[in-house]
Amino acid sequence: MRRFLVLPTSRAGWGLLIAFLTLVLAGSWPVISWVNRATLVMGLPLLVVWSYVIIFACVAVMLIGNRMVERDDHE
Amino acid sequence: MNSAWPLVITLLYVATAMLIGLRARAGRSMNNLEEWGVAGRSMGPVTLYLLIAAGSVSAYTFMGAPGWAYSKGVAVFYVAVYLAYLALVAWYFGPKVWQFGEQFGHVTQASAIADRYQSPALGALSALVMAVGSVAYAVLQTIGSAYILFVMSGGQIPVWLGVLLVLACIAVYLYASGQRAIGRTNAFQGVLMLVVAWAVGLWAIHSATGGLSFAGVFERIAAEHPEFLTLPGAGGDMSFSFWTTSIIVSMFSFMPPVWTQWMSASSARTIRRSATWLPTYYVVILPMVVVGFIGIFSLPELVRADTVVLEYAMQHLPVVLVGLLGAGTLAASMSSSEPFIHSISLSVSKDVLQPLLKLSEGVTAKLARLLILPIMFLVIAPLAIAEPGSLVMILLVGLGFASQVLPAFIGMFFWPRASRLGVMAGILGGFVVTVAFTTLWRHPLGIHAGFWGLMVNLPLFVLVSLATPATRDEVVERFFRIAAPRGLTRVGKRVS
Repeated sequence: MRRFLVLPTSRAGWGLLIAFLTLVLAGSWPVISWVNRATLVMGLPLLVVWSYVIIFACVAVMLIGNRMVERDDHE
Repeated sequence: MNSAWPLVITLLYVATAMLIGLRARAGRSMNNLEEWGVAGRSMGPVTLYLLIAAGSVSAYTFMGAPGWAYSKGVAVFYVAVYLAYLALVAWYFGPKVWQFGEQFGHVTQASAIADRYQSPALGALSALVMAVGSVAYAVLQTIGSAYILFVMSGGQIPVWLGVLLVLACIAVYLYASGQRAIGRTNAFQGVLMLVVAWAVGLWAIHSATGGLSFAGVFERIAAEHPEFLTLPGAGGDMSFSFWTTSIIVSMFSFMPPVWTQWMSASSARTIRRSATWLPTYYVVILPMVVVGFIGIFSLPELVRADTVVLEYAMQHLPVVLVGLLGAGTLAASMSSSEPFIHSISLSVSKDVLQPLLKLSEGVTAKLARLLILPIMFLVIAPLAIAEPGSLVMILLVGLGFASQVLPAFIGMFFWPRASRLGVMAGILGGFVVTVAFTTLWRHPLGIHAGFWGLMVNLPLFVLVSLATPATRDEVVERFFRIAAPRGLTRVGKRVS
């Protein structure tokens, strides 16, 4: 047991891990440099809009995660 | 500002918070750690949502964040991003921490660490050093509270009196109702902050532009000061690397009060449901930050950036809104300081004094309640009144340390082979680097000191763990039945 690591054990689990990592990447360099422009979108700076896109994407991913966890009846 | 209304509204808020905190006890005995420490593991999803949300939104949101917007620009939004990531952390780890607590009887983060590594010394070490950062954090919030009372009273309530007033108020309901008081008062404070932030933000936008759209503010900034709309910001000091590493370090700082909040949930599912919606609360940051941007062209000569919202409100907003802003800012600082005070007292009693003095559970519970008084009046109050110049430095070092405890959690959730000595070596190596890169050579190459600490910490942790004895099999299996209920994986091969 001591040689092993905790990793996802299903395709859905891997999908969720990739989604989590994508979200973290979306708020980090280099992705953040692509939205680092002095332009306004819907009256807000692009970086602000991008920050809130990430914030609400986090909610969406966790909602999907809840469905997966509750479907498998797994805490 | 000569009106008494701002002070009346602010004091009304204090009285309401105190009443809610005292009533939270509802006749229960608080002389056991399960009840005073983690509210009998009873909190529902809405209370937990507001508890975690209000706890994470400190006076920084009402003062520091608009100040950052005023002096640096959009760089301040790294805070909103990392707070959303903390919700992901809560979603994944919170239910497992709750199960550890429910099945093994943990009420603090340090007791979980001591149990996983079978080392009361490691538990005590993490409790003590986390306490340093927690005290500094509580002191900063208390200074913020006292400053608000000073401003709202037009200078009639001096800072020393404000400090004592706020701490006395928190002490009464924290002693009486423990974590239940924190849950109820944070729920009230969370709603109040949200309403006040949007009311003040929209009124300020209307007074500055004549409309209610953010566009009017940012079009003017784009035309006159476009450097505020991109990184590295107007100060030129928020590089991509600092933005990224600050987010990563903050994300992995598992502060003890957050751990206690997870353990206070009524079930693992409750934490998951609260964490899912947690990022929506961070819309509270937007209107306050916009007032900071308004300050760029309305208050160009401001001496202290973090007073931008208060200054703008006092010059342009009706007195009732100024009072509500005082109440909201006080709510933000109190809702953040009280979980830290509670957590210091709980952890020092449970993880340091109980094993050291071989105290019973009953005596430890009574001690935890009483200990809030010397912590507040002999440590936090004198520091808050003295306002030492090095306090922010102590806080940064303390928070830098919080991220250095990461190996303890890797060994709890991901890697069974992690050893007690590996964790200690990682923490100490990472801490030394973090302290050096916070005080002597600040954030080399624009990378956060805590991130440098982790780069030393994690390899040390792995190497020393592999070279030293692991924790006993039955303990590791007990933890990993919860952390990995479907078994572990070795290079693509699943093992039950």
